[in-house]
Amino acid sequence: MTGWAQFKAILRKDLIRELRTRDMLVSMILFVLLAMVIFHYAFSVKAGADLTYFTGGMLWVTFIFAMLLGLNRSFAQEKDEHCLDGLLLCPVDRVTIFLAKTAGNLIFLLIIQAVAVPVFTLFFIERSYFGDLLPFFIVLLLADVGICALGTLLATISMNTRSRDLLLPILLLPLIVPVLIAATGATTLIFAEGAGLGELLTRILFLLGFDAVFLVAAWGTYDFAIGE
Amino acid sequence: MKKLLSAPALFAGAGICLIAGLLLAFWWAPADASSMGFSQKIFYYHAPIAEVALLAFGVAFAAAIAYLRTQNLKWDRLGLVSIRIGLLFSILVMLTGMIWGKAAWDAWWAWEPRLTTFLLVCFLYAAYWVLRSVVDEDQRRATYAAVFAIIAFIDVPITFFATRFLPEGLHPVVIQAGDSGMESSMLVSFLISMLGMTLLLVALIRRDLEIEELKDRVTDLKTSLGG
Repeated sequence: MTGWAQFKAILRKDLIRELRTRDMLVSMILFVLLAMVIFHYAFSVKAGADLTYFTGGMLWVTFIFAMLLGLNRSFAQEKDEHCLDGLLLCPVDRVTIFLAKTAGNLIFLLIIQAVAVPVFTLFFIERSYFGDLLPFFIVLLLADVGICALGTLLATISMNTRSRDLLLPILLLPLIVPVLIAATGATTLIFAEGAGLGELLTRILFLLGFDAVFLVAAWGTYDFAIGE
Repeated sequence: MKKLLSAPALFAGAGICLIAGLLLAFWWAPADASSMGFSQKIFYYHAPIAEVALLAFGVAFAAAIAYLRTQNLKWDRLGLVSIRIGLLFSILVMLTGMIWGKAAWDAWWAWEPRLTTFLLVCFLYAAYWVLRSVVDEDQRRATYAAVFAIIAFIDVPITFFATRFLPEGLHPVVIQAGDSGMESSMLVSFLISMLGMTLLLVALIRRDLEIEELKDRVTDLKTSLGG
């Protein structure tokens, strides 16, 4: 089997397993929707208060917390059912496992965003940002890749420790602050003022650089993270 | 030569340089001409501590790569010790930075790029500590710690760069490329403090390494005695 075929096989296994039970996706989507409602009540201090400049932050905080839930869940199943041991016994390059796992997590995050973004727009955004959809999708995708790559690497480490899911947020959150800063700034500008590709270029390039650096770093270290 | 590099000799050298740097800073270097005035004196300690903290994390980064290549636990000890001292220095950076902030901006805390970066550095390396504490097996703990130390060190400059996207900062840019921006008496005092702080770092790493080695030997002896 070539690397590409192995990649597809692992990704397919993850997707099928999730589509059969759907427990992870359903909980993540419910969590994201609930978080929006909670945000609405938490920030309703004064009638007519303007939340426009908080919208980007609300969106990304929700996605990051939802992703933490999903990452923990995806590796807990692997570990509990000894699926990972089986995977490691196969003659598969560890990097292929990393890339397939990252792609799987990215697909789940994108599915959640496909549900969450329209609802979020309906709830919180008054301005139409239809003209800025292209930069919006670029920012969304680039930030997602960064979060999923680092998240997959660190979830692999944390599931092998004593505290398991408790450890992941402590490791992951300080590391993805740069993504949060760039993505929040960009989405807020799009929601509040309408910003084109030109204005967001430095942020987009920054996210691209972040993804490239950490994909390479995770590529180089995943062998050690996943263990024998 | 070996004696000169022993921990006590390094501590003595660090002490002499740090005291000399402090005396020179207060009695030789002039008060700063800018609006910072006398409060600028903390710069002779604050900046060297910051640079030495980053140096310590750099050592840990190199040690992590060396560990992953060799699987030799001595590199893990070096990483552990450097990060412990680097974390301590980072907390000192924040404390001295807050004192300066109070004098210069009349606020104990400002969400300013460098201060914010160091706050995140503290969280990152505190997480390193939590990670170490929840893995029981030696080799596995060392491997995870090394992977995290590499990722964390790469993240530090990226975080600093990202904070540039936030609204304007307050921190003065003291040393710019091409122009040191300081009088020679200030520069000499600063460099002596810098040397002192670096010597202190090396001395602390050496001493802590010896302690960690002794700890490991005690554990080995206990195991071989059946306890």
